[in-house]
Amino acid sequence: MSKISVSKISVRGLRKSFGSNEVLKGLDVEIIEGEVVCVIGPSGSGKSTFLRCLNKLDELSAGTVIVDGFNLSDKTVDLNEVRQHIGMVFQHFNLFPHMTVLQNIMLAPVELKKESTADARASALKLLDRVGLADKATARPAQLSGGQKQRVAIARSLAVNPDIMLFDEATSALDPEMVGEVLQVIRDLAAEGMTMVVVTHEMGFAREVADRVIFMADGVIVEEGTPAELFGNPQQPRTQDFLSKVL
Amino acid sequence: MRKITKFRAAKLTVAVTALLALAGGFVGISAAAASQPQAKPNTEVTGETYVIGTDTTFAPFEYRKDGELTGIDMDLIRDIAKNQGFTVEIKSLGFDAALQALQSNQVDGVIAGMSITDERGLIFDFSDPYFDSGVQMAVAEDNTKISGYADLAGENVVAKRGSEGETFANSIKDEYGFTVKALADSATMYDDVKAGNSVAVFDDYPVLAYGINQNNGLKSVTEKEQGSSYGFAVNKGQNPELLAAFNTGLAELKTSGEYQDILDTYLEQPAPAASSGFFGLLSDSLPALMKGLGLTLLATALSIVIALVLGVLFGFFKVSESRVLRGIASVYVSIFRGTPLLVQAFFFYFGLPQLTGQSIDVLTAGVLTLSLNAGAYMTEIVRGGIQSVDPGQTEAGRSLGLGYVTTMRRVVLPQAVKIMTPSFINQFVMTLKDTSLLAVIGFAELTYQGQQIYAANFRTGETLLIVAALYFIVINLLTMLSNKLDKRFNK
Ligand SMILES: Nc1ncnc2c1ncn2[C@@H]1O[C@H](COP(=O)(O)OP(=O)(O)OP(=O)(O)O)[C@@H](O)[C@H]1O
Ligand SMILES: [Mg+2]
Repeated sequence: MSKISVSKISVRGLRKSFGSNEVLKGLDVEIIEGEVVCVIGPSGSGKSTFLRCLNKLDELSAGTVIVDGFNLSDKTVDLNEVRQHIGMVFQHFNLFPHMTVLQNIMLAPVELKKESTADARASALKLLDRVGLADKATARPAQLSGGQKQRVAIARSLAVNPDIMLFDEATSALDPEMVGEVLQVIRDLAAEGMTMVVVTHEMGFAREVADRVIFMADGVIVEEGTPAELFGNPQQPRTQDFLSKVL
Repeated sequence: MRKITKFRAAKLTVAVTALLALAGGFVGISAAAASQPQAKPNTEVTGETYVIGTDTTFAPFEYRKDGELTGIDMDLIRDIAKNQGFTVEIKSLGFDAALQALQSNQVDGVIAGMSITDERGLIFDFSDPYFDSGVQMAVAEDNTKISGYADLAGENVVAKRGSEGETFANSIKDEYGFTVKALADSATMYDDVKAGNSVAVFDDYPVLAYGINQNNGLKSVTEKEQGSSYGFAVNKGQNPELLAAFNTGLAELKTSGEYQDILDTYLEQPAPAASSGFFGLLSDSLPALMKGLGLTLLATALSIVIALVLGVLFGFFKVSESRVLRGIASVYVSIFRGTPLLVQAFFFYFGLPQLTGQSIDVLTAGVLTLSLNAGAYMTEIVRGGIQSVDPGQTEAGRSLGLGYVTTMRRVVLPQAVKIMTPSFINQFVMTLKDTSLLAVIGFAELTYQGQQIYAANFRTGETLLIVAALYFIVINLLTMLSNKLDKRFNK
């Protein structure tokens, strides 16, 4: 388990197939500490699959993914350990419905013995305060609005102190008036220097917070660059075509 | 509102507990008829205990009176045992089951009003005949049309499966042009005639005579045919000393006149039929039925606990990543869901001992059957419950760095259990009802006790009503209690 790369995330030749359907066709990506990378592209292009390969929720078919120096293909690497470095936020929140908001956040730190119950409670309350939901500690997920649920989900992934955050269309399931409150939390995290990979359909947001934008189509990276380059002066016809439809 | 619910739940708990206690109190399984050696003991059998199988329902040879097995066969075997200095433990299994039990050495001998035939002589060794029987025909009391075999043309008649009566009826059915249907016990046959499904019954004359004396609603219309003789049987080549002791004892009872006394008790002076009304029947039969209910609940409780363990184990196998574990669970489930419970019960009680040479008691066999069977259904309930939890829940748990086991325990299972609980309660009720099938292997649960009672008093309808009511009350009390607990703990 030696440190192999200076990159925070290093992806080389990543391929992923579901049966005979090849969804990722050889991706190479380097992401450095503190960088915010937004991934955009049409539906079915493999954005979610790419993200899920970064914490191995999906098995890799070929290639290597190295996160924080841990090679995910290495059988001796403790995945549960690596995953504590990587927070993940899902489109549909996936909060635990049988627990209160506080219990949702405290579960991992307590189960993983990172904190005593009392400490975990204090940290959880702090996190809730940070996402603006200090008054919802004892509520059940079912009693929250979509935007509130997603902010709790973000607080939950932050509870194990990750140094990387992955967002998979975190605002797509939200009513428009709630998108802003969630984006604000992500924006704050970016400002604090969190390394982040953000799959999003919010082009305005990508342009604003991203250090780099990756455009994916059909399982390959078609084009990447700074927001100014990619949105202002796209080089590839597929990128131009996609942007003309969404902007 | 909450208080009321709590109070109700408490009352329910008390009611159920009381019922269980009541039933439990009656579970005192009647055992061996102990006896002291008397005149001329046969030294080879002295002090031995023999397990004797018999029919459940063959009055006046064997039937239950006030919960105790009685009848010509019972008096005879007990008196012979006393005379020869051995002890008998009677198992009331049913005719077919007793013969199967003898073949698989579950019992040492069978006395069940069994005719000595050449066919049976091939697999059993018979004693000297102890009773000369003969077949007689009876019809419903109010039937004026049928007075002889000649009136049977085009009609249905009924006889006991595998009995002399069936053989005789079949031997003359072509000559007189009627059809023969076979049923398992006398009480059912008489009901069939009274219900008009069959016009006449062919049965052994002492049985018929006893039933008619009990006001079973029939009358005999022919003379007794010259019939075969009844004998006591042991498995071929097994227990020769028991057979010898039976013959010696029988001869001595005949000499002393005790033999004739026994016959007179049951045939010459039949018990006057005292019809006691529904509540009389209820109070007479309740002790035996409660004893049966106790065994029903015992078998259910044991089976459901084992089934739960099996269900959780194989349920996890079913959702595991291992192809082998999934395969094992699938084979288990398909075997026990793909064969009838009745066949499984016969297999575990009669088949398994023949294969292994190890005899098995009826409660063990019954619980084995029910728990393996219910376990298969539980497996599917557990699998379904786990799989119905959104996969996103597992992903959220795993992405936080929680392991498979922790994610299952803290995230998936609490949600799955909530989904599964109604199905669990359902399975619990099914298993309770399935215990009634164990009557066929002679497990003395509620249905069996009911059969015993109407076999002796011929009041089938009323007895079954009481039995059904007991099931209904217990099942509904338990269901209500389970639902209350479900609401309390699975909010
Ligand atoms: N578990 C799976 N089994 C089989 N095929 C899958 C699975 N997950 C994804 N796919 C397929 O992989 C392809 C890429 O899916 P993915 O979810 O990565 O796309 P996406 O870019 O995130 O799309 P969207 O914008 O709609 O979320 C799709 O064709 C999808 O059908
Ligand atoms: Mg997606």
